[in-house]
Amino acid sequence: MAMSTPSPAPSSPAQTARPVRGWATRLPRALGLAALVAVAVILGTGLGSVTVPPGDVLAALWRGVSGQELAGSDVIVWQIRLPRVVMGLLVGAALSMSGGAFQGVFRNPLADPYLLGVASGSALGATVAIVLNWPRTLIPLAALVCALGAVALTLILAREGRRFPPTRLILSGVVIGSVLSAVSTALILRGQDRARLVLSYTLGDLGFSGWHDVATVLPYVAVGGGTLLLLSRALDTLQLGDLTARSLGVPVERLRLLVVVAASVATAGAVAYVGIIGFVGLIVPHIARLAFGAGHRTLLLTSAVLGGAGLVLADLLARTTVLSQVGIVTTLLGGPFFLWLLRRQRE
Amino acid sequence: MKILTLTTTLALSGALAGTAAATTYPLTFKDDLGRTVTVKAEPMRIISMLPSTSETVCALNVCDRLVGVDQYSDFPAQLSKVPKVGDLFTPNVEAIVAQKPDVVLVSKYSKLDGPLTQAGITVVAVNPETYDEVFSKTLLLGKILNREAAAKALVTTMARDIAKTEVLARAAVNKPTTYFEIDPTPYSIGPQSFLGVLLTKAGARNIIPESMGDFPKVDPEFIVKSNPQLMLGLDAKTAAARPGWAGLNAVKSSKVIAIPAELNTMLGRPGPRLPAALRALAKLIHPELFR
Repeated sequence: MAMSTPSPAPSSPAQTARPVRGWATRLPRALGLAALVAVAVILGTGLGSVTVPPGDVLAALWRGVSGQELAGSDVIVWQIRLPRVVMGLLVGAALSMSGGAFQGVFRNPLADPYLLGVASGSALGATVAIVLNWPRTLIPLAALVCALGAVALTLILAREGRRFPPTRLILSGVVIGSVLSAVSTALILRGQDRARLVLSYTLGDLGFSGWHDVATVLPYVAVGGGTLLLLSRALDTLQLGDLTARSLGVPVERLRLLVVVAASVATAGAVAYVGIIGFVGLIVPHIARLAFGAGHRTLLLTSAVLGGAGLVLADLLARTTVLSQVGIVTTLLGGPFFLWLLRRQRE
Repeated sequence: MKILTLTTTLALSGALAGTAAATTYPLTFKDDLGRTVTVKAEPMRIISMLPSTSETVCALNVCDRLVGVDQYSDFPAQLSKVPKVGDLFTPNVEAIVAQKPDVVLVSKYSKLDGPLTQAGITVVAVNPETYDEVFSKTLLLGKILNREAAAKALVTTMARDIAKTEVLARAAVNKPTTYFEIDPTPYSIGPQSFLGVLLTKAGARNIIPESMGDFPKVDPEFIVKSNPQLMLGLDAKTAAARPGWAGLNAVKSSKVIAIPAELNTMLGRPGPRLPAALRALAKLIHPELFR
């Protein structure tokens, strides 16, 4: 999250040019990604702290889909595990797409979805709600409002006339983040006995995600992610530099604002309901870039798939091992995994 | 098992009677931080940094010797007149030193022993964490404060009052399987924890097995699988709104009971109000026994 200077673009313009690929290369990759999601969903719904035989899992899914009455362990599979899995897919996709878009729009490999204050904003909102003992249903709303507020504040502070210079955006985001974190910490220290609840939120947890939460998060992810996909070609052009992009007819300032807002909306919607899951939005786009190339349409789509499946698997580890929270798993295992991938790439 | 603990507590209290003597100072012992501490003379100016310890000090009839307490010490009522000197983790060290205490009672989780010992003040870390320690630490405090007879009498009364509730709860026809939520992450309590022991004594069957530890984070699907008859520590609306919980036995039969604030405080303080807390808890679980 913390970053000082914008470093060179993550990919050279040469890489950015979309390679002409036929169905011969695309189809196996698409099938591979689909298989990955399928595996994640099957494992995610099949395994858990309670053992449900595979036959019963299938029966539960059938009864759930067909709207029949749920019996026995059906409730576990259909009302607890499956929404948790779907939420994992949604949130993983939102964070990874936002991360990929941020890295592209700032031409900075260190950018992540929390760059402009979404994380510290939602943490502050949740902390206020928890410390003041508001009803639990208000926590995500408070988090959402504060997260979007933090991004708006960052944009206002970074604005220079009609322009939003990247360096000012990044620096404003970092400062807003630090200031809001300090406020949160002060609040936590005042209401010490609720510190664990706040900590649990800031680590991210899919524990109580139901169908209702999935339905609430879906619009943010769909609108935010969809907008980013529509902007992917312009993001490709932007990799050539602001000046060149402008001369090629890309409205650079408007593009930057739109990407930042769309990515923040997707991230804020996801984070408000499951907490601040770290690291996914930073490393998944890099993994996607290493594996599938740097063209933004492919990058965003594959990031969404990899991030979603990855988060489902991370959550599976969280609920079946001592790691206990999905945010711990993503950071603890995601970091080393990414480093391993980087080193392999060099060889 | 339960009869065994009951008889041991009674035997313990029986053996205690009539052996109290005045404490001889200087008194040297090992405290909860494993430090060897020497209390030079009978402490006349005491500071307590733990609400439960403050309650115990007052129950030993030396409430008037408290010259400072932490900001959460609010029972008994007369503590409102005692200066507040911060809390365990953000203590007001200057205010503590200014009171010139003979002894400062802390828990093993504070870092107060460093600066205060340096300032020449005797610091004792004493905080009960298990059920049995509530009694042993009360006796230790009695010894430190030269109130051994009072401490033995207090422990005897507590054991007797606990036994009363236990006998009553044992008569319950149905001991409900129970999920006790200590925070909505959700965390619960194992049977060996302080609260877990009380829950069993109050006539409930904890759904958390010992193997899950004392304060386990619980997977919601485990609770659905266990399908408890009673839920404590959350309200009915919250429980019903959780995915997959609406059909659980406790929710359907309206046996989801939030812990009242005062009882919650008492349950969080392993001190002299333990018997009262147990009784209130048993009343929540088995209202039919208290008519």
